[in-house]
Amino acid sequence: MDVKNFVTDVVVIGGGGAACRAAIEASERGMNCIMVDKGRPGRSGATPCALWSIQAPFGPRGRDERDSPEQFFEDMVRAGRFIGDQNITEIVAFTACDRILDMERYGVKFKKYDDGRFYQTPMPGQTYPRSTFMYENGQHMSTVLAEEVSRHDSIEVFKDFFAFSLLLNDGRVVGIMGLDMLSGDVLTINAKATVLATGGYTSLWGFSDNPPTLTGDGVAMAYRAGAELVDLEFNQYYGTDVIWPPSVRGTVVLYELMIEEFANGEITDRNGTSIIDKPLPIRDEAIKIIFNVIREGRGTEHGGVFFDTTKSPKGEAAVRDVFDTMTPKHYHFLIDAAGIDLAKVPLEVAPASHYQCGGVYINERGESNLPGFYACGECAGNFQGANRLAGSALCDTQTMGAQVGGCAADDAKKLDLLPPDKKNVKDQMDIIQSFLSDKKSTQRPIFLKEEILKAMDKYVAPFRDGKGLKQGLGIISSLRDEIKKISIPDIGRYNLELREAVESLLALDAAEVTIGSALFREESRGHHNRTDFPETDNSNWRCHTIVVKKGDHQAAYSKRDVIYTRLKPEDK
Amino acid sequence: MNGVIKAKIYRFNPDKDKEPYYKNYEIPVDREVTVHELLSIIHRDYDGTLAYRTFKCYKGMCSTCIVKLNGQSVRSCATPLKIDSEITLEPVKGGRVIRDLVVDFDKM
Ligand SMILES: Cc1cc2nc3c(=O)[nH]c(=O)nc-3n(C[C@H](O)[C@H](O)[C@H](O)COP(=O)(O)OP(=O)(O)OC[C@H]3O[C@@H](n4cnc5c(N)ncnc54)[C@H](O)[C@@H]3O)c2cc1C
Ligand code: FES
Repeated sequence: MDVKNFVTDVVVIGGGGAACRAAIEASERGMNCIMVDKGRPGRSGATPCALWSIQAPFGPRGRDERDSPEQFFEDMVRAGRFIGDQNITEIVAFTACDRILDMERYGVKFKKYDDGRFYQTPMPGQTYPRSTFMYENGQHMSTVLAEEVSRHDSIEVFKDFFAFSLLLNDGRVVGIMGLDMLSGDVLTINAKATVLATGGYTSLWGFSDNPPTLTGDGVAMAYRAGAELVDLEFNQYYGTDVIWPPSVRGTVVLYELMIEEFANGEITDRNGTSIIDKPLPIRDEAIKIIFNVIREGRGTEHGGVFFDTTKSPKGEAAVRDVFDTMTPKHYHFLIDAAGIDLAKVPLEVAPASHYQCGGVYINERGESNLPGFYACGECAGNFQGANRLAGSALCDTQTMGAQVGGCAADDAKKLDLLPPDKKNVKDQMDIIQSFLSDKKSTQRPIFLKEEILKAMDKYVAPFRDGKGLKQGLGIISSLRDEIKKISIPDIGRYNLELREAVESLLALDAAEVTIGSALFREESRGHHNRTDFPETDNSNWRCHTIVVKKGDHQAAYSKRDVIYTRLKPEDK
Repeated sequence: MNGVIKAKIYRFNPDKDKEPYYKNYEIPVDREVTVHELLSIIHRDYDGTLAYRTFKCYKGMCSTCIVKLNGQSVRSCATPLKIDSEITLEPVKGGRVIRDLVVDFDKM
């Protein structure tokens, strides 16, 4: 198989909010950019799935004049249970408003008061109402960002491009290798700086509200090249995703809409008894309540709880209006696909995998431990800590997207283009070759992937213990033997099975280090609840978990201090 | 409730096939499924070579899943099929067919 080669200054992997913003910034600083996306920018990743909510502390320019970047910073640090690095949190908190104004300039429509101030909704964990409101939600945001990208001549977009490995020159990252699904060709992109913006990998769990394409390619690529990963045990579940009927399983319905200002409904057990008190708790606490109700046997027929607005004192019409204006797409989708009107019937919902707080370890410039390699957005790790607040993730994509894209461009200006090592290119090519043959397959990637997802659901749920985690690791290691049996006919373009095979290979690494990180942290905090270590242990574990590759399938785990700049934990 | 969905699906790999052709599938189901679910079932259990877009936004909004169902463009994730229906699925118009139901997005 021939390999075609492309050359650029900055290559950005991804087409979601973070990737688009990083590419825009790199281009505006005068660099040429190639942006590659497994799907199509604007219609891929988690960004189009998102809701209206993007936090920015507008203060007097928004809903509550008392709000400030300082308060935003503090809210995020506390919600993250003091595990987020504050050098990064500062950038997010203090540049959020400017980045929202950029978005507005690109064409994102925000709801405003008549006098021009930003309308903002209250969400749990925000001291003052801070979520600015995007009409048409995340799909609108991602479409507008993708359009802005296309206005930049110095950004070239490769869509339907599945990146599967980083290229190295003596330890420096010098670009990527990937499969062009449109032609079936393998391509390399040689670059001075490489920015990872592949999003989270919450679809490594079977029950997730994220696109099924996100199973850990990005972090696994980084890990295989030698990058440090951080805090992977903090995978955030969201409390109320549809569990029944199957045709709409995984669609998110927001428990945050249950407050008096909005739908004023309840999350209830099977008997209709309300289980979550108001004011609503933040996500890690909400999850625990819901899980406990289900574990105690008070759940619904299909293992969930009810999302019920039918008894709202506001009445059906007013409730419908809330869904129709705040989450219009989700509301109508449930009607179209399954005939379910949220304002009329209680819906069965349960906690599903939603957001990965961990990821690639970066500093405030987005640099990883590997020279030439940067990360931003959900695939970067050490900002959210043990839990995240509603509306902080989209904000992160814009603030850190711009910051990291800019720093990568500044560095690229000073660097020469180095070619990848020949042996490195051959090794990465072998990943593809190993799967391609005309032998009759004895194992299909789709089934192998299902096994991985099942193991994650079963052993790496928000409540986990050492014994189960070890069983999970055992499964992953036995699947490594199975993956060798995969053989796929070389049918050229859009070879879905070939993509699935490589995804499975990467997913095995992502699963192994995620389970390993959860096993390493012997305490409970945020979204990581070890039933065998139920207490939060600040003296030993108020720190990061770092994992880095040492040899073949040998992961080394260690602790690292959290960076505190403005707000130290009180008890120190 | 059990039944069978009969699906006639457009197949074309421009690298190998001179002409597009249709392949028939009979898929047993025990409930109403969406078109997108049907495609996943076919790809998983009957024919791994069938190419379609696997991305899912869960809210009927991204349009990556659009296909032609009996001549009409629909969002496959938001379109339920009755048990025992007989359908034809084709790529939507407006873009180059990459393979089977996958269309290049450029002009969409
Ligand atoms: C249902 C839902 C609702 C949400 N609501 C909100 C909200 O209201 N507010 C909020 O702040 N956050 C919300 N979030 C979280 C937020 O949407 C995400 O954290 C954020 O969009 C991540 O952006 P990103 O750019 O980092 O990654 P993504 O948007 O996930 O993009 C990742 C990109 O990388 C590409 N990619 C992945 N792997 C590869 C590969 N191997 N090769 C090439 N390309 C690749 C993907 O195709 C995609 O383009 C929500 C998430 C979900 C799932
Ligand atoms: S998957 Fe997004 S519209 Fe169907």
